[in-house]
Amino acid sequence: MKRIFTRISVLVGICLLAINVAFAQNITVKGRVTDGGDKTTIPSVSVLVKGTQNGTQTDANGAFSISAPANATLVFTYLGYTTQEIAVNNQATINVVLQSSAQQLEQVVVVGYGTQRKIDVTGSVGSVKGEDISKQASTNAISALQGKVAGVSITNNGAPGSSPQITIRGTGTIYGNTGVLYIVDGVWYDDISFLNPADIENLSILKDASSQSIYGIRAANGVVLITTKRGNKGQAVISYNGSVGYKVVTNPIEMANATEYATVINELSASNGKPNLFANPASYGTGTNWYNQVFRNALQTNHQLSVNGGTEKTNYNFSLGYTNEDGIVKTQNYQRYTAKLSNDFQILKPLKIGYTVSGTAIKSKDIPGSIFRQLYAAGPVVPVYYADGSYGDANDFSLGGGNNFNPQATIDFFNQKSLNYRINGNVYAELTIAKNFTFKTSLGGDFGQNEVRAYIPVYKATQGQSSTQSQLDVKRDETRNWIIENTLTYKNTFGNHNLTVLAGQTAQRRKSYFVNATAFDVPYSSEGDLYLTLGNAGTRSVTDGGALTTYASYFGRVNYSFKNRYLLNATLRADAASQFFNGGDLWGYFPSVGAGWVITQEEFMKDQTIFDNLKLKASWGKVGNAGVPVNPTTLTISQPGGYVAIFNGVAYTGKNVSSLVPSFLNWERTTGTDIGFEAAFLKNRLNIEAGYYNKKTEQAIFGIPVLTSIGTSSGDLIGNQADLRNRGFEFSATWRDVSKAGLSYSISGNLGYNKNKVLSVVTGRNPIYQGGTGLTNGGLSTRTIQGGAIGEFFGYQVAGIFQNAAEIAASAQKGAKPGDFKYIDTDGNGVVDGNDRIVLGNPNPTYSYGLSANLGYKNFDLTLDFQGVAGIDIYNANIASRFGNENFTKDFYDNRWHGEGTSNTYPSVNLGTTANSAPNSFYVEDGSYIRLRNVQLGYVLPSALVNKWKMQRLRVFVDAQNPVTLFGYKGFTPEVGGTPMNAGIDSNVYPLQATYRFGVQVTF
Amino acid sequence: MNYKNTYIQKIGMLTICSSLLVMSACKKSFLDVDPQAKQPAVTFWKTADDATAAVNSIYGNLRNWANTAFPALAIESMGSDEAEKGSSPNDSSYMNEYDQFTASSTTIQLNGFWEGQYQNINLCNQVLDNVPAISMDANLKARYLAEAKFVRAYSYFRLVRAFGDVPLRLNVPKDASEFNIPRTPKAQVYAAIEKDLDEAAAVLPQSYPAADLGRATKGAALALHAKVAMYLKKWDQVLALTNTVMTLGYNLFPNYEQSFRLNNENNIESIFEIQCELLLNNKDASNSQYSQVQGARGNTPDTGWGFNVPTTALESAYEPGDVRRNATILYRGETTPQGDAISNTADNPMYNQKAYVPFNKIVTSFNQGADQNVRVMRYAEVLLMNAEAANELGNITLAQSSLNKVRARARGGVAGVLPDVTTTDKDALRQAIWKERFVELAMESDRYFDVIRQGRAATVFGPKGWKAGKNEVWPIPSQEIEKSAGTIIQNPGY
Repeated sequence: MKRIFTRISVLVGICLLAINVAFAQNITVKGRVTDGGDKTTIPSVSVLVKGTQNGTQTDANGAFSISAPANATLVFTYLGYTTQEIAVNNQATINVVLQSSAQQLEQVVVVGYGTQRKIDVTGSVGSVKGEDISKQASTNAISALQGKVAGVSITNNGAPGSSPQITIRGTGTIYGNTGVLYIVDGVWYDDISFLNPADIENLSILKDASSQSIYGIRAANGVVLITTKRGNKGQAVISYNGSVGYKVVTNPIEMANATEYATVINELSASNGKPNLFANPASYGTGTNWYNQVFRNALQTNHQLSVNGGTEKTNYNFSLGYTNEDGIVKTQNYQRYTAKLSNDFQILKPLKIGYTVSGTAIKSKDIPGSIFRQLYAAGPVVPVYYADGSYGDANDFSLGGGNNFNPQATIDFFNQKSLNYRINGNVYAELTIAKNFTFKTSLGGDFGQNEVRAYIPVYKATQGQSSTQSQLDVKRDETRNWIIENTLTYKNTFGNHNLTVLAGQTAQRRKSYFVNATAFDVPYSSEGDLYLTLGNAGTRSVTDGGALTTYASYFGRVNYSFKNRYLLNATLRADAASQFFNGGDLWGYFPSVGAGWVITQEEFMKDQTIFDNLKLKASWGKVGNAGVPVNPTTLTISQPGGYVAIFNGVAYTGKNVSSLVPSFLNWERTTGTDIGFEAAFLKNRLNIEAGYYNKKTEQAIFGIPVLTSIGTSSGDLIGNQADLRNRGFEFSATWRDVSKAGLSYSISGNLGYNKNKVLSVVTGRNPIYQGGTGLTNGGLSTRTIQGGAIGEFFGYQVAGIFQNAAEIAASAQKGAKPGDFKYIDTDGNGVVDGNDRIVLGNPNPTYSYGLSANLGYKNFDLTLDFQGVAGIDIYNANIASRFGNENFTKDFYDNRWHGEGTSNTYPSVNLGTTANSAPNSFYVEDGSYIRLRNVQLGYVLPSALVNKWKMQRLRVFVDAQNPVTLFGYKGFTPEVGGTPMNAGIDSNVYPLQATYRFGVQVTF
Repeated sequence: MNYKNTYIQKIGMLTICSSLLVMSACKKSFLDVDPQAKQPAVTFWKTADDATAAVNSIYGNLRNWANTAFPALAIESMGSDEAEKGSSPNDSSYMNEYDQFTASSTTIQLNGFWEGQYQNINLCNQVLDNVPAISMDANLKARYLAEAKFVRAYSYFRLVRAFGDVPLRLNVPKDASEFNIPRTPKAQVYAAIEKDLDEAAAVLPQSYPAADLGRATKGAALALHAKVAMYLKKWDQVLALTNTVMTLGYNLFPNYEQSFRLNNENNIESIFEIQCELLLNNKDASNSQYSQVQGARGNTPDTGWGFNVPTTALESAYEPGDVRRNATILYRGETTPQGDAISNTADNPMYNQKAYVPFNKIVTSFNQGADQNVRVMRYAEVLLMNAEAANELGNITLAQSSLNKVRARARGGVAGVLPDVTTTDKDALRQAIWKERFVELAMESDRYFDVIRQGRAATVFGPKGWKAGKNEVWPIPSQEIEKSAGTIIQNPGY
């Protein structure tokens, strides 16, 4: 805690220093900026005293306050609106109405390699303002997108610092890199957990193939374009945002208490013909609630400091960020420090150069992944500690191997720290060559290092938790990526014709390296001892590995519009990837074309008053995915430890060929067709967008199981094996208005529907079984087959529970016991076996939706975000994973079969048997949920007051993230996720939690 | 155009040219990236060292899960009357399906066993296809090929016993057209096994220098061949092969219990063992789980998972005074000769003592008993095969003599117990030899297929559910049948 306060005081100190610099006394002018069209207030409008660098921005409610000479002129500038100049003339209040340059015509969205007027876009691009991301409690920007954009499905993981899973318009890739491509200021990333959300200016999601195809090479799963904040012309604006809050588990699972546990374990023993383990269950009372013991309300603090400003020729943006997040599991902690600096220099009239550099340091104290399983399984009869202070030991209660642990001891003796350093950014030069030509070159880099250090001491906590030797594990990963891009843009207007032509070329290199090392008998009298070299020399071991891929690409784009009425966009990208060198098409070509018709620009629409805007658009494009394993067609030697031969006790390296590679591998291509419309009604107060898409992945790359008798170690052969389809529609609507009483509000909703299907597989109806985790007892719970969805759940259909021996005798499961699942003999052959398995559910969400409301009244503002998914199933793999006397949920205890007639839906406690734990319909549950994602209430203190404190603006807020989630699923959270063919299998995912915060935002 | 602008344009053009130059100049090599941390196969199979490493992989792979742990125990031990699942009732209860003959083509571990044996076979086929072209010492090359043939034969023998007809692959598939092949009739598979073993025995040395201890020997090839011939009832061959092995200098290790301990690995009785070691600096190579899965469960310290435990049928099969009973069965609560007390709280009354490793060898975070070699073939079995063949061929004296050598050791030096078998009745002697195999080779995964070979399975295992005409073999894994799109036909009754 002391260190936290030190940091806070340093930050506050910096803020205070800045005040005197920024504040020169004049008269204070206040006011509000509204849109001339829809009358809503406009935030982030630049307000500048003409001829000076003294400026500010309007706040979330469009309000501003600036000190200016009484005879000055204020300049109001906002992208997409006509700039206005208003003389102060001694007025203390100036309300400004900005006219959008041509209604919505000038609204701009960020697209690949540039920006485009929204009205000119013929594809499907979701745009989210940085402010909407940074205002949320999420420490990962992507997490904050949940429910914000139609067709974009986010699965959050509650672990501090973890990256959520993002799926854009369904799962279209099975193998290799199935994640989206992130592009931050032109540099490509697979993950952006290093990025401080407060640094984001704008985030665009390229959803359809025509917008993506300019990034053909890696765009098949969607592209997220992020631009970070850059300096604005004007005097330094210093902002501090800080919040403090805590996280709390919202939907805990109630487990059986000690008495209930002892009761069911006795039932289990009896059912297995063993004596009772507990003589008197009631004597154990309620026992230990392990979740309560190990979980906590976790503290989260966040500080952001930024300085922004510039002149005609240069500008700067500097920011510092600090996040400290405790995990809900005691001992878990995550801290992230970020620093970012960007500068732009107009060094000569035609030449602009600039750079962005950001550094991130992440420090975390980790928890073992097994802890959630242990909390579920631990016996409540075991005390945390005995009276003498030693750990309660499951062994003393003869619980057996399934839960022979004390979770408190597990976290106490788990000592793992991770450190992640990352530096990335880019430098660019932009040269206006002739009147209409701009050349831009950009060099980006991403250098990261990740260290994980784990230490196990010599200890004995319980009989089952001990170590006879100490052990130090050190892991180090390095990332070294660079990207060079050159683009030449020609832009011109001839009468009614607008033309922009872009040509570009890029090269990329991505290199990663890891080394893991272990030594035993390392002393630990201080942190300084934790070196492998101090360990026992005979026990030191090292492994390493790496990957290297290179890409080269050329691309071009033509944007043409006639009278702002007829739009045509076309792109072509040619990509070469080292993956496809030697065997396969080295070059992949990815074209796209889009057309739009802005009907409201037609002469015949001139007099109608219904539509303020009506645009029809259609597009088609192709994208690829080079995110397949490196050198896929190169046969390599396997030399795993398992091949090491032992002769006379000595190890000798073993190597051999144990895999198959395809001789030829083509680019996986996704072809997408989109049609849609955009419409605005009622003086732009109501905006509607809707679209239909059909996205077909052709020649999808993945491993098809080959005959096991070939004897390969992987059992499959990758190749261009299947065609997949994601088809669906998206709809979004926004209503914005200001009431006469001064209440400004907007309500927006979005809905996405997606249907996923495997269209064809080269080997026909050969199923691919997966989802066999330890928690399904090795049973394979998913199947991917021609005609079905990717990774659908597959298993037995439960008809009921066997009540007595007579029912069993009359059934197709002669070996069953009363209380076991009665499965449907679907093939009717009189025996229940693997051939009776059927499709049980679909882990791919069918519907995802979001609903947001923003209200502003006087100095108050309120945000409400709702979000949910429907038409999705989860496989609850926690409950049947049993090796002994693991605990049961209270729900199971209450509903279990324990004698004839007690239940026809829940089995007996003997559900760990192979037959009962086999993947079946009992474990497949509805994964739909709806939740209140964010609620935030803010208040901007009166300017007159804060000005006295030498501030321009002070806003305070309270908010909650995930305070309410409604779902029927019987696990901790319906947000499960997983890789495409193993999705939706809940094997102890991180619990769902709500975050409650209080925060301040100060601008000086 | 003023001077400044021209200057800037020059800079601009230079930038464009240079960046395009960078691209075109190195385009080809830029995209030709070497595999990282992986040796391309085209650089392999060039030197004697490559051949050595490839043969090493064959031996290393024999330690793995499929060859020594659950899949092997499920297929080769659970069905027998000597062993049952053990462990805690809910843990991996599918093992009971092998014990009670309710296993189907989707039962867990079935595919693992199939896969494990074919992985061995692929490694051998790679060596047999590729090493001949390597320019190296001719004798060493011939020996390496013989070693590969031995392991290939061993793996096919395990497959053909378990499944009957199996796809016979004697070469690495050249292309996809050779991927999907039907099951080869059992007789042809056996013929291939015998050919491999003949060729191996002709080349393999009787023994190796210390540094090569653990490699397949001539004795191993001959003894395995004898066992294969015994399954084919080729008694002349069994007798001839075992007679030869009996001249190679093997002998029974005096102390039965001690012969299974770590310090007596590769002893004078050992014909072939899967070599395992717990290497503190190589956890990946310390991957045997043979002892871990069979170690006493619920013991302090944690010695393992407690699977494949002896039955009371086995316990009562021993004659009074037979030292092999206490050496084979590790009782809950007992104190071992090495001084380890097995906890009274252990889950099961009996465990397999042949997989027992003293507590002081257990290292936290390593598989318990990862250093225990798996005894595949012992000289005692050679004697018993010799006795059985001699008996079948009417050489009663030899049969008695070989049988009684095995019994003599089991007395543990105590006179008056385990009297010599003296019957001259062929049937009675056969029964005695079978009985001796039961107790001598107990818990070494011999019993199940031995009883089937003897033709008594319906009698011995019938009460557990074994049915003639079906349970002689296990089902082919359903995944393999699905992948073959009907080329592979299921065994009858499954």
